[in-house]
Amino acid sequence: MKKIFIVCVVIVILVPIITLTFTLIKMKEKEPITLTLWHNYGGQMKNTMDEMIEEFNGTIGKKEGVIINVTSISGSSTLHDKLTMAAKNDPGAPTLPDITTAYPKTALVLANKNLLVNLDEQFKEDELAKYIPRFIEEGRLNTDKLYVFPTAKSTEVLFVNTTIFDRFSKATGVKLEDLSTFEGIQNAASLYYDWTDRQTPDIANDGKTFYVPDSQFNLSLIGCEQLGTHLIKNNKIDYSSPDTKKVWEQLFLPAVKGNYAIFDGYASDLAKTGDIVCSTGSTAGVLFFSPKVTYPDNTSEEAKLTLLPYPTFEGGKKIAIQRGAGMCVIKSNKKKEKLAGIFLKWFTSPENNLRFVSSTGYLPVTEEAFGDIMLKQIDSISDENIKNLLFVSREMQINYDFLTAPLFDNVDVLQSNYEKQLRLTATESRKTYRNLLNTIGKEDALDQATRGIYDKFARESE
Amino acid sequence: MNRLLNPLLKKINRTNKASISMRLRLFFFLMILVLTMAGGIIIILLVTGTFTAGITESRRLIKNELQHASNNISMQYGQLSLQAVSFSNDISQRINDKLKEQNLTFSQLSQHPKQLEQLLSDLFENTYYSLQKCKGSGAFVILDTTVNPSLVNANQSKVGLYLKNMEPNVISASNPTFTLLRGFSSIGRNNSINLHTQWSMEFDISNADYYIQPILAAKNNISLPLSKLYYWSIPQIIPGTSEDVMLCSVPILDSNHNIYGVCGFEVSAMLFKLLHMPDNSTYSRMFCMFSPYQNSRVEINHSLFAGGYSMRDFSKKDVTLIVKEHHTSFDDYNIKDSVYLGYHKPIQLYPDGSSFSEDIWITAILLPKEDIVNSITLINVVLACLLCMLVVMGIIISVIFSNKYLKPISQGIRAIKLGSEEDLPKTNVQEIDDLIYYLSDYKKELNRKIEQDKYQITKLENFINNTKTLTPAERSVFNHLINGLSAKEIADTMFLSINTIKTHNKRIFVKLEIASREELLLYISMLKEIGLELI
Repeated sequence: MKKIFIVCVVIVILVPIITLTFTLIKMKEKEPITLTLWHNYGGQMKNTMDEMIEEFNGTIGKKEGVIINVTSISGSSTLHDKLTMAAKNDPGAPTLPDITTAYPKTALVLANKNLLVNLDEQFKEDELAKYIPRFIEEGRLNTDKLYVFPTAKSTEVLFVNTTIFDRFSKATGVKLEDLSTFEGIQNAASLYYDWTDRQTPDIANDGKTFYVPDSQFNLSLIGCEQLGTHLIKNNKIDYSSPDTKKVWEQLFLPAVKGNYAIFDGYASDLAKTGDIVCSTGSTAGVLFFSPKVTYPDNTSEEAKLTLLPYPTFEGGKKIAIQRGAGMCVIKSNKKKEKLAGIFLKWFTSPENNLRFVSSTGYLPVTEEAFGDIMLKQIDSISDENIKNLLFVSREMQINYDFLTAPLFDNVDVLQSNYEKQLRLTATESRKTYRNLLNTIGKEDALDQATRGIYDKFARESE
Repeated sequence: MNRLLNPLLKKINRTNKASISMRLRLFFFLMILVLTMAGGIIIILLVTGTFTAGITESRRLIKNELQHASNNISMQYGQLSLQAVSFSNDISQRINDKLKEQNLTFSQLSQHPKQLEQLLSDLFENTYYSLQKCKGSGAFVILDTTVNPSLVNANQSKVGLYLKNMEPNVISASNPTFTLLRGFSSIGRNNSINLHTQWSMEFDISNADYYIQPILAAKNNISLPLSKLYYWSIPQIIPGTSEDVMLCSVPILDSNHNIYGVCGFEVSAMLFKLLHMPDNSTYSRMFCMFSPYQNSRVEINHSLFAGGYSMRDFSKKDVTLIVKEHHTSFDDYNIKDSVYLGYHKPIQLYPDGSSFSEDIWITAILLPKEDIVNSITLINVVLACLLCMLVVMGIIISVIFSNKYLKPISQGIRAIKLGSEEDLPKTNVQEIDDLIYYLSDYKKELNRKIEQDKYQITKLENFINNTKTLTPAERSVFNHLINGLSAKEIADTMFLSINTIKTHNKRIFVKLEIASREELLLYISMLKEIGLELI
């Protein structure tokens, strides 16, 4: 009797406690956690990103109790500045988000401040095995921890406005195939300058620029690799290497002559106004190329874009850069970190990855998405430029070796100084060259305007 | 003997059957106490509104957030409106100066593209600094002219300048994040401003309310000052761009009320989101909405949102939210199969007398209905469970207490029953201890009395038996004696001498072992008391 009484008492006590606990758990589960996200998929990519995040919030997010809230959409350089500002707690800096897209150089700054989650904890080994190994390796930032999760990668290709190029080609005989080497581009640029200069016979030396690289640093880095050396030795640029000088001259001399543009910005800006014909840049930039070129009198013409594999130096190896921001998770608490992992898994699942890729110009990150799925779905992509891009990227995946940018402390500063100094030096020399053209011939003017400049450049950019 | 104790025992048994045990009685008493307390607590909770406190608290929270958000929005938009008016005055002055300098009229500008470019280059500085100073995400100037009037649709294409601050919420003087969305590319490049990825040279003003409305207002209300002519557009995606923006545009007028165009500021959806995000520490899905309001309806796609959650579904267009106001509880905001609860408040975007003062804008703080329901259910489930636990604990305590408290009494009674009077338990409750001792004493007395009665009964039995030894003559005398006759009266009745009677008496007394006639009568009386008579 006493035992029955005790059992009854225990039951009577436990029932409300269990009910209460279950109710609390259920309520807690229903109460979603908000994760803030910063990304650099702006402009034309924003809609795709918005739709995907909305879909995640309405499906997996709803089930798992997480809401992804985008609180910043910035360009990659602005995002880099914002993240480093926030990491350093600079005055006026915003609070770090829970998830952010970041290039390895940015992630390194955050990782050094112990702000990033090791994503190995969120993914099982077999899950990670589905991703392209070199993308995962890049995200480890030379450590044994996965800090940058590959969400969408890119490489560099050659973008050519064939509407303008075809006119030029017809007049000069230069062919698209000639643009497969940097020497060919240099030659074509010289011919283009002369050709455009001739169109205004009353104005001397007003030829137009033909080419600009989105990143002079990347071109120098890959150029040296193609020639069989390294631009960077012991975390410094090896200015003593003849190949470094060769690559530098390939950029510098045409810029002084006005054949290459000297520009602090994206090549697509210049392409919009017809100030260049071709450029090397990230595949992810494909959407930023306007379908038309607008001239100063507001007339415009259609701009047909053709994509070609990344050029090489004559006799050089087929090497291209591997780039593209991944996503990092900022340290917060286990629950948030786990939910961030769920979002990354969803976002990079082959189906979603390809969906993102096929409307943005990035490259897939899983073996599955890069393989058969992409080949099967490539024809269903409506954007011709993206379709071409994926074909070119796939061709490059087969024929090219890929190199990731070296990663060490202050690599971002080194890169920035190199490019800044190159632009500055080229602008000054161009000015000198133009002035000299009033008095002496082109070759002498170029010689005088660029004599000793490389050594000066090397000194000042260090 | 048994014949004598049975009536007493029967009486005790009858009493036991009719009564409830003291333990049960105490338990019931305590239970009444517990239930009264629980009932009291429920009444107090009901009276103080604790059961509805979740709703009250939520309402208070949402109203506070609404007040906060509407104040902030009102201030931001008010400041931007004033700054836009001031911006328009500056731009107008600059245009006048430049036209004088160039010796041109405004209408001649379309024939002089170089001068037009120079004019806009001049306006860049004003636009740049105005954007830096304001709490907006963009600044624009649209002039009522075009670079190339000979183009198709030239009448829908207007030249201008549109600067966008890509990070309006980040203070970074070293690295301004301005881009040129519209305008001559040369202006951007000369000022180290990159072209926006969705750059175009001119504005397409077809269906551009931000251009048409203020110009119409200026044309129709010549006497109105600029402060009553500015216009806030509905949130929209400008053709060729991808972000929702809201524009405050003010006509640019010269001193003769000639209209040069419009200028103003932009509030992007992202800036709105960053500036007006409600505190979602209590309700993570609470959000702020800013919308034009008409006939209790809100167009979702023409609203700005701030918060971790938005009711906007990007896959659906033109979704309408129907508002049902309630005075006693939350207002309902219905959108197809979803219901949101919250409150809204009108925001005055225009001063009295403005051309657009009839436009109604509201700020609302909303959250999905299920979130509030869940929250209130949670509070009430917690309360109900706590009350249940209180009652259960009361029952357990009552059982334990009634057992514990009555244990010494039971033991005492058992001890009394078993006769171990020496080990009487102490309850430390004076009355109960008194009762136990009283019962013990009573039992002792009772036993003593029983012993006494036993003795008397033995004597009576002997007496009765002795009466059987009397001779008939002695029996006759005995009968007269028990009838209360004196010796003389018995002698007279029996026609015997007094001495004979006295002799009989002596023998009777000896046989009955009594000493006197009074003792005999006492026995007789005792026998009568217990209902026995000598036959």
